[in-house]
Amino acid sequence: MRKLMAIMLALLLTGLTGCTGAEPAPDAASPEIPLRVWVGDNADIPWMEQVIADFKAAHPERTYRIEIGVQNEGDCAKVILSDVEAAADVFTFADDQMTSLLNAGALMPLQENAQSIRNANTPESVEAATGVDGQLYAYPATADNGYFLFYNTDYLSESDVQTFSGLLDKASDAGKKVAFPMANGWYFYSWFKGAGLDMHLSDDGVTNVCNWNAADTPITGAEVVQALLDISAHPGFIEADSDPFVAGLKDGSIIAGVSGTWNAAVAAESWGDSYAAAKLPTYTVDGQEVQMASFSGFKLVGVNAYSSYVGDAMDLAAFMTAKDAQLQRFRLRRQGPSNVEALSDPAVQAEPAIAAIIAQAPYATVQRVGSKYWDASAALGKIIVNGNPDSIDLQTLLDNCVAGITAPADQ
Amino acid sequence: MGKNTSPQRRTRQQPVLLRFFAALSRFLAGAWHAFRDGDASVKLSALIWGASCFRRRQFFKGVLLCLEQLVFIALIVILSPDLIKLGSLGEVQAQRVYDPVTRRNVWNDYDNSFLILLFGVICLFLLALMIIQWLRNLRHARQTELMARKGRHIPTFAEDAANYFGRKFHRTLLTLPTLGVVCFTIIPLLVMIAIAFTNYDRNHLVPTNLFTWVGLTNFRSLVSMTSSSSFAYAFRNVLAWTLIWAVLASLSCYIIGILMAMLISHRDTRGKRFWRTCFTVAMAVPQFVSLLLVRNLFADVGIVNTLCKSCGITDWLHNIGAIPTANVIPFLTHPAWAKPMILLINIWVGVPYQMLIATGILMNIPGELLEAARIDGANAWQSFRNITMPYILFITGPSLVNSIVSNINNFNVIWLLSRDVYTTSDQLMAAAGATEVDLLVTWLYRLTQDQSNYKMASVIGILVFIVCAALTLTAFSRLTRGDREGAFQ
Repeated sequence: MRKLMAIMLALLLTGLTGCTGAEPAPDAASPEIPLRVWVGDNADIPWMEQVIADFKAAHPERTYRIEIGVQNEGDCAKVILSDVEAAADVFTFADDQMTSLLNAGALMPLQENAQSIRNANTPESVEAATGVDGQLYAYPATADNGYFLFYNTDYLSESDVQTFSGLLDKASDAGKKVAFPMANGWYFYSWFKGAGLDMHLSDDGVTNVCNWNAADTPITGAEVVQALLDISAHPGFIEADSDPFVAGLKDGSIIAGVSGTWNAAVAAESWGDSYAAAKLPTYTVDGQEVQMASFSGFKLVGVNAYSSYVGDAMDLAAFMTAKDAQLQRFRLRRQGPSNVEALSDPAVQAEPAIAAIIAQAPYATVQRVGSKYWDASAALGKIIVNGNPDSIDLQTLLDNCVAGITAPADQ
Repeated sequence: MGKNTSPQRRTRQQPVLLRFFAALSRFLAGAWHAFRDGDASVKLSALIWGASCFRRRQFFKGVLLCLEQLVFIALIVILSPDLIKLGSLGEVQAQRVYDPVTRRNVWNDYDNSFLILLFGVICLFLLALMIIQWLRNLRHARQTELMARKGRHIPTFAEDAANYFGRKFHRTLLTLPTLGVVCFTIIPLLVMIAIAFTNYDRNHLVPTNLFTWVGLTNFRSLVSMTSSSSFAYAFRNVLAWTLIWAVLASLSCYIIGILMAMLISHRDTRGKRFWRTCFTVAMAVPQFVSLLLVRNLFADVGIVNTLCKSCGITDWLHNIGAIPTANVIPFLTHPAWAKPMILLINIWVGVPYQMLIATGILMNIPGELLEAARIDGANAWQSFRNITMPYILFITGPSLVNSIVSNINNFNVIWLLSRDVYTTSDQLMAAAGATEVDLLVTWLYRLTQDQSNYKMASVIGILVFIVCAALTLTAFSRLTRGDREGAFQ
């Protein structure tokens, strides 16, 4: 920046003077500390304003000038990676972007009270915020960013929702549908992990390890794909990601589906008192019932390593994710806390979506996935939804998919 | 239409490159001769630009030249650290130490590969400019010396300045646009092209990581298939669809637009203005709004699907095997459906514009031509085939080429109709981050935005440019050949 300025000045003054107007050097004793913070949604702004007011009150000895910006948590990393130095000091992001943010060196590891953050939050959320080197790189903010089963009690009983075949049979009997986002790697993972197959980030922090195509596992990937082809061909099944799922909720054609808390309000509104949530069901593969696994999801607050005031930014991030702020967030935005004490609050426990997340938690894995996973797994899901139209050998499909998932990330 | 018999006016010219090098060598030789034959002051002005001017008593001009030289040198000195590092694109990795007392990060003096590349290119550019100015100045000095020898009047500064508002006014006018083109087009373009030869991707993101030169590796991975990369496969498919799309999309809009214009302009059509207004109103809605609307209409849960389902079309299509599932017609989600749908939707958004253009042209067809044809007994088809169509083709030929080229880069239609909706089921395409409906330009966007893969995006950008340039040059040189110029005079 200084160099650019120097060139501009040199141009302007035709080389008569050198660099006279360099940026004011940030001064430790400066009266005002400017910080920028990004929240995920316009609806978070009132909450953030409240938090900032409390933060300022808690730190009367320093003067802060804090600007709030809105940056969707889902593609926060994209924006940050395009220019780390221009990104906000403190930002909220979904934990699936942890890997790319770490690779870009955008996150500041916690310096002062990492242990107390570890103690205050659920172990899974702490794991999600930890880098491959074992350091804590972010502050857990919510623990409800995973997915679970939504269902309509008018059509489905608690025993129906235990198995996927039970759901499908009841739905097709009623002329309705069960929705699952098959062509989306984040959800698609459930089937394979549930059957004991593995896919995760390798130790280099960039590429993936995957045994979906292995021949020596108790349940093979080909058997899983066959089960999924059967499920997709069932008249009670519909492949639906978030938008079609919401449309189906509203017009009543979908009576159960897999999605996350972000659709809880729509479901509660469309189904009224019949809205219920549960852990994911089991499904039949190779003649046995296996429990569907899932990715757990967390929202994390990160501090920009290139911030001029990392210390103060870390103070703000810690404050934003402390118990009180998380409870406020729950009250205003119905977002489930990651803080252990906040999570035990009766009001939090009574929320159906959060109860379902907690029920799914034993089968959930913290998401540690390299960038090559997503397109490759989505393509396999899409082929399954289309019913494998070219009748490609299932093992070949899996071999291709695994080749894509484990490809070196520099291609 | 009488045959054009006039002799070809232009003689065959030498290839552009050859002419360029001839001019360059003349320029260099001129500067060298100026230096060799010039007097002491001319020789000295190779070192101090203003020297010769001072000798000829052009003091003000001399001072300005010296100033110019100083500015060049100052800029190059400021940028020289980057120029020196341009060969390696930096070697000092960013490192940070947290200072618990000030509670701030202390950074080492790290290299930023991107800034080194940017400023290095600017510096090279300035160097080239400086050398050109230096050689030009030598030639000028020699010319002025010769003028002085012959006793001719040497222009004063006031006269020189006045010249820039008189005979050379075009230069004054063009200064600002030229500066703009250099700063905002040429230099960014050079940097972008340079990135194609580096490994700038998500594993080498600045400022934390460094990237470096890798030669032609990226181009190689685009043409040759390896076990770990399917870029070559994706590139072939995307390029093929891009070309098919460009030709079909342009021709369909072009032909339908002209037919509609003719229908509306037909003398038996009533309410011409009303019809024209209808189509113009469609143009008044921003394209992206209509595209998003259409995308929702044809979505898997959209209104068209609901209608088809309730009146049995979906089931019928499923029975004849045209769709994979009995639930939805995959208008925008299955390659076999999505490609024709996108072409149809493009016709819908593109025809009104083409129709308006054609209407204007139809109004300009010389009435006496059609009149004469009618008196000679030509029927409607004959006068269309022999008068209207050749006329329209002649006038709109270049714009047809232009529309093919702009359709190669038609980002809006493809992106807005496929984004978040279309998932590829081609595993090799997926591994390269492409989909079947992607054009080169949308694939490029996906690579930069979703994958931060700047190196491959840059390679694709270069190839898009080559495709467009080749198309434009061949098409225009054919369409505007000398023997066609008089065709409609």
